[in-house]
Order: sequence, then C-alpha cells, then structure tokens
Amino acid sequence: MSEDGVATAEWRRRVDLGLAMSEGLPIVVVASLCAFFALASDSFFTLRNLTALSSQASTLLMVCTGATFVILMGSIDLSVGAIVLLVGSVVVELMNALGLGIAALAVGTVLGMLLGLINGIIFAWGAIPSFVVTLGSLSVFSGLAQELLQGRAIEYRSVAFDNLAIGQFIPHLPNIAVVAIAMWAVMVFVCFNTRFGRYMYVIGGGEAVARTSGVPVSRYKVYAFMLSGAMAGLAGTLAVARVGAAGPTLGSELLLNSLAAIVVGGTSLSGGEGGMHRTLLGVLIITLLDNGLNLMGVGEYVQMVVKGAVVISAVLVSQDRTKLSIVK
Amino acid sequence: MRPGLGEGSPVATEVILKVEGLCKSFAGIPVLRDVSLDVKRNSVVGIVGENGAGKSTLFNVISGIVPPDRGRIRFRDKEIRLSDYRQANLLGISRVFQEQALIPNVAVYANLLLSHENYFVRFGQVLDKHRMIEVAQRVVDGFGLEIDVRERTGNYDFSVRQSIEIARACLVPREVLGIETPVVLLDEPTAALSRSAEEALFRLIRKIKLHGSVVFVSHRLGEVLSISDVIYVLRDGRVVASVDPARTDERMLHRLMVGRERDADYYHEDRQADVANQPVVFAVSDFSLTNAYEAVSLEVRKGEIFGVGGLLDSGKSQLGRGMAGLQPPDRGVVRFGGSEIRRPTLRSLMAKGLAYVPAERLAQGLIVSFPIAWNVSLAGGQDMFSTYCGYWKRSAEEQASQHYMEELNIRAPGGPYTRCTALSGGNQQKVVLAKWLCRSPRVMILDNPTRGIDAGAKEEVYRVIRRLTADGVAIVLITDELLELIGMANRIAVMRGGRISAVIEAPPGRKPTESQLVALMVGS
Repeated sequence: MSEDGVATAEWRRRVDLGLAMSEGLPIVVVASLCAFFALASDSFFTLRNLTALSSQASTLLMVCTGATFVILMGSIDLSVGAIVLLVGSVVVELMNALGLGIAALAVGTVLGMLLGLINGIIFAWGAIPSFVVTLGSLSVFSGLAQELLQGRAIEYRSVAFDNLAIGQFIPHLPNIAVVAIAMWAVMVFVCFNTRFGRYMYVIGGGEAVARTSGVPVSRYKVYAFMLSGAMAGLAGTLAVARVGAAGPTLGSELLLNSLAAIVVGGTSLSGGEGGMHRTLLGVLIITLLDNGLNLMGVGEYVQMVVKGAVVISAVLVSQDRTKLSIVK
Repeated sequence: MRPGLGEGSPVATEVILKVEGLCKSFAGIPVLRDVSLDVKRNSVVGIVGENGAGKSTLFNVISGIVPPDRGRIRFRDKEIRLSDYRQANLLGISRVFQEQALIPNVAVYANLLLSHENYFVRFGQVLDKHRMIEVAQRVVDGFGLEIDVRERTGNYDFSVRQSIEIARACLVPREVLGIETPVVLLDEPTAALSRSAEEALFRLIRKIKLHGSVVFVSHRLGEVLSISDVIYVLRDGRVVASVDPARTDERMLHRLMVGRERDADYYHEDRQADVANQPVVFAVSDFSLTNAYEAVSLEVRKGEIFGVGGLLDSGKSQLGRGMAGLQPPDRGVVRFGGSEIRRPTLRSLMAKGLAYVPAERLAQGLIVSFPIAWNVSLAGGQDMFSTYCGYWKRSAEEQASQHYMEELNIRAPGGPYTRCTALSGGNQQKVVLAKWLCRSPRVMILDNPTRGIDAGAKEEVYRVIRRLTADGVAIVLITDELLELIGMANRIAVMRGGRISAVIEAPPGRKPTESQLVALMVGS
C-alpha cells in the first residue's frame, strides 16, 4: 500500500539532516585538511607547493568530471585509468611519428571518446552491467597500452606541447590546471542546465520510470560513457604533456582515486543523487591527502591506509541511511 | 460461534489477540484512527475495506513492521511491543504477504524454515538438513499438501506456492517454536486469482482454523461472508462496523465499505458523453504477444472512455504496455494519428499524442526521491523542456509544474521543488498525470490510475478524466476495480485468457452490474 512508501516525519528529519551533512561535510573536510597540513608542515602553504598541488589535482579532476556523469546515472566506469594510459601512449607514438603539436589534444580527446563509445555500446545494447563491461575493457585497454610501450617510458619532442601543460599563462597557475577548472565549470553547467545532465539524474534515480516516460535511456547511457572516455582522453594527453613521457604507470592510481573523489564529494554510487559541483571538493580532498602526507614524510603504504580510512568515514557520515534498505 | 476443533469448546471463545486504539499517521496523514479489534482462538476474522482504507498498515502494525503512534496490542493476555517482524513471528504472529515472499531458487524446506535455521544447527555451524527436511515434510503433510520439500520452490506453480506460504505461517510456529495456536495474518493478493486458485485459498483458510486463528483481508465479499466468524469493516482508517456474517449480506457490507452504494455522482456519469458519432482516433488490430494476449482488436473514439477489465492473468496490463509501445507485440498494427504503425515504440506514439500511466506508480510512474517539477518534466524532456541544442528550460518546467499543481490541486508543502516522498499517494498520482497532461495528449492509456489512493483523490482523478474526455481526449482505462470500470467507461471490454471475450455498452443509466462482469471474466 502506498502509505508504506511515504516517509514519516521522523524519517524526513533524518533525511534533511543527512542532506545537510552530505552537502556541507566535504567543505569542512577540505578546510580541516588545509588547516592540519599548514600546521604540520612548513612547506604546505607555499606558493610553490600550491602550484604543484593544482597541477597534481588537474588530471584527476578532468577524469572525474566525465566519470561523475556515469556514477550519477547509477553505473560505474572502471576503465578511466586504462583510457588515460592507452590514449597517452598512442598520442606519444603519434606525435613522434607524425610530428603532431597541439593537435594532439584533439586526437587524444577523440580517441578517448571512441574508447568510451565501445564501453557504452556494449553496456547499453549488450545489457551487461557497466561494472563488468569496464572491468573487461580496463584489462583490454591496459594490455594494448603495455604492448605498445613494451615496458619503456616514451618521451615526446614538441616544445609547444610541453608549454601546453606546464606553462603558466596565468602566473603560478599551470595551464593544465586552467584547462581542468574550465572543463569542470563547463561540466557543472552541463550537469544542471542541459537535457543531458538532467537525464543522467533521471536514469540514475529511476531507469524504469525514465523508460515509461519516453526518455531514450540507452542512447544517453552511451553518451555518458563517450563523455567519460573523452575526458579521460583529454586528461591522458595533458598528463603526458605534464610528465614529458608516457610510461607504464601512467594513470595507474586513477581508477581508485577517481571513484574515491566522486564518492567522497557526495555523489551516490546508487545513482540520482549528488552533482558535478561536489566532485571538485572530492578531488581536492584526495589530492590534499596525497600532497600533505607526502610533505609530512609519511610513507607510501601508510598513505594508502589513511586515504582508505578517509573515504570510508566520509561516506559513512554523509550517507543518507534511510535509503539504504538493501546494500549490495 | 462454532467451537474450535481439537480444542475444548470453552477455550474457543478466548480472545488471543486484542488490538486497542491503534493510531498511525504517515507524513501527517492519518492512516489508522483508533482501530480496535479482537481475535478469538480458532476463529476467522475477516477485514474488508476499499484500497487505502488502512488494511495493510493495520497488518504492518500487528506484525511489527511499522510501529504504531498510539494504541496497544495484547497477545495471550500480555501487552506486546514489537520492534520487527521476526519478533512477532517468534511470539506466534505470522503473516502471509500479498506478494509472495518465497525464494524461488531454493528447496521448499529451506523456504519453510527460513529464519529458523538456528534451531537446526549442529556442531556450531552445520545445518542438520535431514532434520530440516523431516520437520518441513511434517509441516506440509500436516496441511495435507502433496509436496516434496526437497524440490525447488520455483518448480511449483502460483497456487501451490501460496499454500506453502500459508503452511509456513500456520504450522512452522508449532513444529519449530512449539506454539500451538498461532495467529496468521493473511493478505489476499490484490488482483483477482483464477477461480480454482481462489477455491484452494479458501479451503486453506478453513484448514488454518484447525490450528490457530486467521485474520484475513479480502476483496471478495461473498467469500468473506461465508468463511468469517466476524467481519470488521475499515473505512478511511477507522473501524466503521464489526458485523456478524450470519446477519448481513454483500450489499450491506459494500455500503459500509464505501459509505454509500455505487454512486453515479462519484464517477460523474452525467458527464459521460455519447460518442457513437465521433471519429475513431486510436485503434489496434490483431495485437498478439506470446503468453500475454492474442488477436486483440479495439477502437477508441474521440472523447470515449474505453474500459478494459479482467482477472490478474487476463493479459490486460501487458496489452496496455503493448499499446503504449513499451513492450511491442509480436504481431499487430496500431492505427493512430493518421498512420499505421507496425512496431510501435513509446517515443513514436508520444510524438503523435499518446500518454501512458502505468499501474506501478512507485516503480514506473514517478521518481519519488525527485522534486515534483523534475517529475512533471519527465515525459516532455525531449521537446517541451529543452531546446534543440539540449539546453534545459528550467523556467518552463517550473511554470508547467505550478500550473498543474493548481489545476490538479496537488497539495505540497514546498511548492514545485517539494520531493515527492513528502506527498500522499493521491498527490503522487496527480504528479504522474501532470507529467503527461502537459503534453496535451489526444489518447491516454491509464492502467489502474487510482490504485492505492484515498477516496477523495480518486474522485479528483475521475473528475480530471471526465474533463479530458470533454476536451476530446480518448481514454483506455485498464482497471482491477469493477466499480470504477462500470462507473467510468462508455464501453467495457472483458479480457479472459489474453483475448477480449466480450465488449459491453455501458451508457449512463444502463450500466452493467458487477456480477455480470465477473461472470464474463471468469467465464462461468
């Protein structure tokens, strides 16, 4: 009977509290992390470090802006790190073979989009869970890239491309960060002011409802994976530009970091809840942890422990528990 | 009062479950108001009431699933406070749910003893399967069922599975927990069962009486009368009468349930137009889908309400989904908007002016966690509320929501951005209607548009439907509620076994009766 589905007043209070928590919490976490690291390390609040930090956050932010849409529609894209690696490797090879300059950006983005298209088509029309599809393509894309690299790090030769990432058009702000923030701003707009953005929420919130309302669900699922792939491709190209080479470990940390950043930001893995604006905070939290713990001289393995604990506790505190009747 | 079998007659009058002054509200809307009832040992208590009268909530409270706001439950002369269903179950209150609660891919014995595995543990963790099978077999044998409990549950058909569930509710407390006289709460499936399944159900209820007490919800008043020892009538969350079945009849029961006899005003029958001379706007011919419906043809005229009735398995809901293009038929043609469509899809039909309201409001009708405005714009997202380039027109969405909130009288505390979880079922259903009305449809397929909403909201929905037909909208009304079908429709198609077995004219003043329709539905 319908009244069973209606939240009681008590529930509503808890939902509201949960919402307030999940809205505000990431900001509080970012602020406290900044304060903590500023106290714990002299070199944290220096212009030099903040420049480095913005550059570090950029790749992750670009990857996450695309992947957030996929999470928002209740799916998952595990292949973003592998797309970064594959696109990075291919772009370096192409640059050295064809002498591509800045055009490499377009090539990388389109290549990433095509990889995303493959994911999307298998997912939407093959009716296979996105977890399985992208788990498979993760392996395929990584394998192809490693085959291409043969265990080496391949450098590229292009001054223009070099400038693209680490140059500072705006003083103390590397260009890669400018691109990342601009892309993020565009995606926030897309998320809240376009049909595509709305349909991501709708598919995540109730796919069956969307279908019975005439929403072209399958098509938009493919679009989401294409966008996720394109952003990963762009991120991969710029990451190569930043590091100066494509090596076997490129993008290896992105799979876990992107999911962690999106979820810590407050976008629900079950879909339909959250938003692009929050992903920026999630990315900041993950990058701040990496950067600050490094400055404090905390070992790599302890960093892993801390990061994992922060992700779990952030979600634990902000999760709207009234919706969690079944967790799989 | 007939004496209980197997017990001495003195105990048969003992009250085993006493409910006093139960109150319960959801989101400020009272669903139960001061409900009291007594259940005597080895008796059958019938509970009747319209959809939304509070029957399911009453069961939820008695079985510990929902806590009451006020009131007491006394069981075996002790006041009990239940925190969940398991606790109720261990005390001896068990429940047969409307939706079957058996896991199809495990053996029958595992289902029968589900959640009681701790009584069958050896060496700490290992389940004593032999003893489980033995006990489970005793349960089904005790109920006279010819079932091998080692068989996979899904291999048995619906009515056998229902018997298994009833046997579990009734005999497992005794065989496992040592409770001699459990109280079994039995929710009859909402939609109609086939005749033989129904007879089997009532035989089962007579059997439960030998072992315990039954509180039983049903829409089939005749059977309730014949089987119950006492009948409570619920209306709008209140017990309006407790009647002795020997001294009442179906008519009286019905009048008590709805507070009136079938009322022409309620369905605005005076506004039912004569459509004989109107053009046909929507037609399907030779519609067939394997295992659902076969060779269905129908025509709907401008301004007409074409009713479709039938039992649960008659295929009428699938036909609705087929005509809306959601589950395209294997064969058949839709004639709509000047063209013949062979493989209809919802999107192609929508573009020509079709709307579809599904029966499952929460699963398919609207996204309850979303605001009203977001739901209103769901069906118009492709054309009305976004530009060609894909820019979302938020102000258009807000205006449309505001417009339909006023027009349909959707009461929401926070305006168009109120989340639909905060709305009553009736207001939620009006949001689903608004989602389609903003597209100004010419044909609407409505599957149970008033399921689970209160009487007031129902009346409002009927008024909206009448107004639409006055504007020339053609309506296909698929419904399980006979009175609604009779009251609203110009013509009524009765489906049986996937085919339209009869089409009856239902002009105002010469409406068919319920028993005429039921006879056509069951084919007797």
